Amino acid sequence: MRRRGVLLLILAAVVTLGLSVSGAADFAFPLQANSIRLAAIGDMGTGDQFQIDVGQQMVKSRAVFPFEFVITLGDNIYTGSQPSDFEKAFTMPYKLLLDAGVQFYATLGNHDTTNERFYKPFNMNGANYYTFKKGNVRFFALDSTYMDRKQTAWLETQLRDAGNGDWKICYFHHALYSSGRFHGPAKDLRKVLEPLFVKYGVDVVFAGHEHVYERVRPQQGIYYFTEGASGQLRAGNLKPSAITAKGFDTDRSFMMIEIAGDEMYFQTTSRTGVAVDSGVIRRTIRPASGGVAHE
Amino acid sequence: MSTKRWIRCRGVSGLVALSLCVVATRMLAGQGAAPSTEQAGDAAGFKDFSVRVQAYLKLQKTVESKLPALKPTDLPEMITAHQQALARKIREARPHAKAGDIFTSAAREAFRHASRAALEGPNSANSRAYMQPDAPNPGMRLTVNGIYPDTEPITALSPVLLAAFPPLPVEVAYRIVGRTLLLIDVKSRMVVDVARRILPPAS
Repeated sequence: MRRRGVLLLILAAVVTLGLSVSGAADFAFPLQANSIRLAAIGDMGTGDQFQIDVGQQMVKSRAVFPFEFVITLGDNIYTGSQPSDFEKAFTMPYKLLLDAGVQFYATLGNHDTTNERFYKPFNMNGANYYTFKKGNVRFFALDSTYMDRKQTAWLETQLRDAGNGDWKICYFHHALYSSGRFHGPAKDLRKVLEPLFVKYGVDVVFAGHEHVYERVRPQQGIYYFTEGASGQLRAGNLKPSAITAKGFDTDRSFMMIEIAGDEMYFQTTSRTGVAVDSGVIRRTIRPASGGVAHE
Repeated sequence: MSTKRWIRCRGVSGLVALSLCVVATRMLAGQGAAPSTEQAGDAAGFKDFSVRVQAYLKLQKTVESKLPALKPTDLPEMITAHQQALARKIREARPHAKAGDIFTSAAREAFRHASRAALEGPNSANSRAYMQPDAPNPGMRLTVNGIYPDTEPITALSPVLLAAFPPLPVEVAYRIVGRTLLLIDVKSRMVVDVARRILPPAS
């Protein structure tokens, strides 16, 4: 009887997971104690009203889902490198978040000046690429515009030293997998990075550059998200392909993520507050040689 | 065919075959020699380039050591001030700098060969695709001691291309605008040197 009950519970969990991955309306963040809560934005630094709208929507969403920090996927400031550009494209659109103590961890895009790494609110500490840890999650922020051997050697050391216990999340500007019409996938970069991701068990990768939102079906056990529409937008630019799990290209958007134990909950929200994608990723601790994560 | 004619034919065929063998051997020998000369030239060009980069770096560090150190700051104006002061001081320290001072003729040839090998290979389409969209305006003004405009995007450098070039210290970086290769001082955004027509034209 007890076994039957357990089986039913498992079945219910599987069904729930399946629904949540497909973006069901009943999705909700678990808001577990000690979970890691963050938001992800990319290609946002236009300084225009659309960016401001997304910033305001992030504030609204944070009232329900109190994320503690934001990762940026590059193109943080399009307009230039003068103090007024920082004001217009960063401190003003995200003022309420900054005032609330939300931290930003930036990566550089091809529209950023390298000196943004010295801007304290970006938490880059003067480095083009860096790593940091929050709870059971190790983040690797990379500079995909200039992926030289020095950086790949650094990444390999960091990934190896991180071991297998924590989640490994990499984020950078250029998407390794993309169904966007304008850029498409950065295959050249993929050739260099993917073997390291697989070898050292990276779980999730976030990128921008393509001005749309796309969730890609797991590739070699790794989940790829593109969020490059948090300010910019190339409406209708997504050409869904066999790798597309979900896409959104009709308005700006941002992502919210909660990592609780071995589960990662995510929701992508449009500028107007509509949930356009959501789901749960369950992590399987993989051996060093790579493995498979499960939805 | 008579026996005499058959022998004559065989003799001619043999001579032709022998000649072909000699030509082929010479061609092969020639092919073997040409790349090694080119490779040696390229190695020397790259070595000279690296020495000149180091010399530039020495100058840059001397100049920067006289400025307040740039540390992470909440004030973007501090970053801008450092960038502008560093550019001005470097410019003053090398007023006669001109194109070719670091990308010497031999270095330019070496970079051309390396670019061609990287961008005309079997995976060149991927490298081109990675580098081309969102590229900076190829007509923008690029002069030694000038500033790379902060409103222009940066061409993402193909890892294949970067691997083919000599590695650089963190203070300087390669940039590409159209077919032109630049050496940039990262903190001051100053163009240290310019080498034109380095990348092969996109087919």
